[in-house]
Amino acid sequence: MIIEMNNIRKQFDDLEVLKDISFGVDSGEVVSIIGPSGSGKSTLLRCATFLETIDGGEIIYLGEKAAHTDESGHAVYVSPGELKHFRSYYGLVFQQFNLFPHYSVLKNLTDAPIHVQHRSKEEAEETAIELLGKMGIADRADAYPYQLSGGQQQRVAIARALAMKPQILFFDEPTSALDPELTGEVLNVIRQLAEEKMTMVVVTHEMSFAKAVSNRVIFMDGGVIVEQGDPSEVFDNPKEERTKQFLRVFER
Amino acid sequence: MTFSTMLKVMSEGMLRTCGIFLLTVIGSLPLGMIVALLRKSRFAVVRGIIRVYISVIRGTPLMLQLLVWYFGPFYLFGWPIGNWRFPALIIGFVFNYAAYFAEIYRGGIESIPVGQHEAAEVLGYTKTQTFMRIILPQVIKTILPSVTNEVITLVKDTSLAFTLAYQEVFSLSKQISASQSSFMPFLIAGIFYYVANFVVAFVMERFEKAMSYYK
Repeated sequence: MIIEMNNIRKQFDDLEVLKDISFGVDSGEVVSIIGPSGSGKSTLLRCATFLETIDGGEIIYLGEKAAHTDESGHAVYVSPGELKHFRSYYGLVFQQFNLFPHYSVLKNLTDAPIHVQHRSKEEAEETAIELLGKMGIADRADAYPYQLSGGQQQRVAIARALAMKPQILFFDEPTSALDPELTGEVLNVIRQLAEEKMTMVVVTHEMSFAKAVSNRVIFMDGGVIVEQGDPSEVFDNPKEERTKQFLRVFER
Repeated sequence: MTFSTMLKVMSEGMLRTCGIFLLTVIGSLPLGMIVALLRKSRFAVVRGIIRVYISVIRGTPLMLQLLVWYFGPFYLFGWPIGNWRFPALIIGFVFNYAAYFAEIYRGGIESIPVGQHEAAEVLGYTKTQTFMRIILPQVIKTILPSVTNEVITLVKDTSLAFTLAYQEVFSLSKQISASQSSFMPFLIAGIFYYVANFVVAFVMERFEKAMSYYK
């Protein structure tokens, strides 16, 4: 397993956002997480990427424990230095892209590999140009983010994450900030990565995409996993009433 | 006193004015950043001290602060006042302007979207790298117009050095005007200040242009 999250609990003040959630992702798997807003799906990704700290449970990357629960029931993380090492295992693509506006497209892709992973400038640039080609934006290497369309910016963001050579890529609603026309070009890139067996977890509202691309769909609501399984099962033959109710909204 | 003598004496005064200006800029720009960062310190005591410092500096006249820096050590500790005039002047200016710059920096730092910090964190940048490589360059671009304003005010504020009878261009213009019964020194001083600020505005505009390659 690339990542394993067991019995994750997370609370914001009095609000329990994640209630004892467990899930894991195998190498090469593409998992879609769907569910209404406030169901905890984005929080789950933010916990997996250490942007939020869990209150209880364990997070394991490639068999190494990043966080576990001690005898008193509180989550304990490894030291900040060790966490940095875990960060090299994953990448995260944000809803709002979060590109660095003062860096050119190329520098957005090479800065972290050079200064965080200490790779040579030549190697980093070679990887970056290759990735930009794959994303269909090789000609925009010298542009600045503000000069790009939303769809292009998100493709740069995906390339930036891939430039770190992660084992797994998380997407937090990657197309929610894009208009429908641009959504397609980003989804196509993700689809292409799925064909190349990139391990991915995608939080999304794009149901047809989730159905077509993922190996497994997780439906979350109220901080728990209500139902999960093969996309055709979950979409065409949902077992839980809550899932049926949620999917009906999208059929309209 | 001939016009050329007047001009020569006042030019020397203008050099001293430039001295105050440059030393204040060199001292207060970095000190302001330290103050801004300490204001976000995780220690409540440090945050408290910084808040009081900024509040006192902004709430009292710079002229009064200069007098306190100059006479304070003498009245409080009985230290000799000797060569303390110029150091007191610079300390007064630096601490005053650092407080204003700190507030500008703070506004700039807080204006950077949280997503920038998160993107950097996920990519594995350390806290220092995130600040130096991602946040600070964007902060500098954001705050340049406010810094320009403050620096132009500083050029004019250097005239407050007359309170400590330091012989910069403003003090001299008053003295010469009184002794020569002439209006000319004020005119010269005015032109000197205006030209200085013209240069400052020009240089800062260049900086802003240099930063305008992205939005």
